[in-house]
Amino acid sequence: MSQRTEQVRTYRENDSLPVVTKTITQEKINRYADASGDHNPLHLDPAFAAKTQFGGTIAHGMLVVAYVSEMMTEAFGEAWVMGGRLKIRFRGAAHPGDTVTASGRVVRVEGARTTCEVECRNQTGDVLVSGDAEVTIR
Amino acid sequence: MIVSLADLPKGHEFAETRFKLTPEWVAEYAGAVEDEAIGSLPDRSYPPLALAACSFRALLKQASLPEGAIHVGQEINFSLSGDRESELVARARIASRGERQGWVLMGIDLNVASDSGKEMMSGRATITFPLSGETVA
Repeated sequence: MSQRTEQVRTYRENDSLPVVTKTITQEKINRYADASGDHNPLHLDPAFAAKTQFGGTIAHGMLVVAYVSEMMTEAFGEAWVMGGRLKIRFRGAAHPGDTVTASGRVVRVEGARTTCEVECRNQTGDVLVSGDAEVTIR
Repeated sequence: MIVSLADLPKGHEFAETRFKLTPEWVAEYAGAVEDEAIGSLPDRSYPPLALAACSFRALLKQASLPEGAIHVGQEINFSLSGDRESELVARARIASRGERQGWVLMGIDLNVASDSGKEMMSGRATITFPLSGETVA
């Protein structure tokens, strides 16, 4: 396994974080269901999900949030993995076939603590999740 | 028989659950979320949300999610500098429960500590689900 050798860059207020883009598929949702143990039919059963307000299966919210975490790892490396805070609201659903892009911006740097606004949007720009993430860089 | 979260009141405390983040499960999780960044970090690093997912998985062995449950909010604080090989202890309680227009809004506090007592994660998941168990068209 290759390891990160370069220094993680220093972020300042208003800097953008590296975006992470993924395509949601039913197969990916199924894999996340198996890993997480969350087999809610809303995620897995097209017939059940078709009767809900979503009109079909949707990805687990925490699958989408994982893309935010990947973005934070890409930006802050081990500092994010070792400790941080994430506060998220789920605002929309990601369906199979959707392209989800996680993005973020540094809003505050106070000493070692960096706070970022983070969000995920689908291919039409709808916000799926939004919130803030905080990382301490020692 | 596993009880449904829908049947549990505010203040319910789940039985303490012990689990391990095995390398195999972490690999399954990282593959499922396609985390391409974690591989560039030192060995034994894992996505922090893997801890949340694994502890939630342990919780689901005690109480099932009602059909049609929707995750509406999540707060997580994590500090993963502890012994990652140790057995982990998860504690959870229903911190809030309200009902409005046929839906239940429930907050579940979840804390995970190492076997030695070091807190590794705390947070709250907020979910909503239909009061009657029916789906809403």
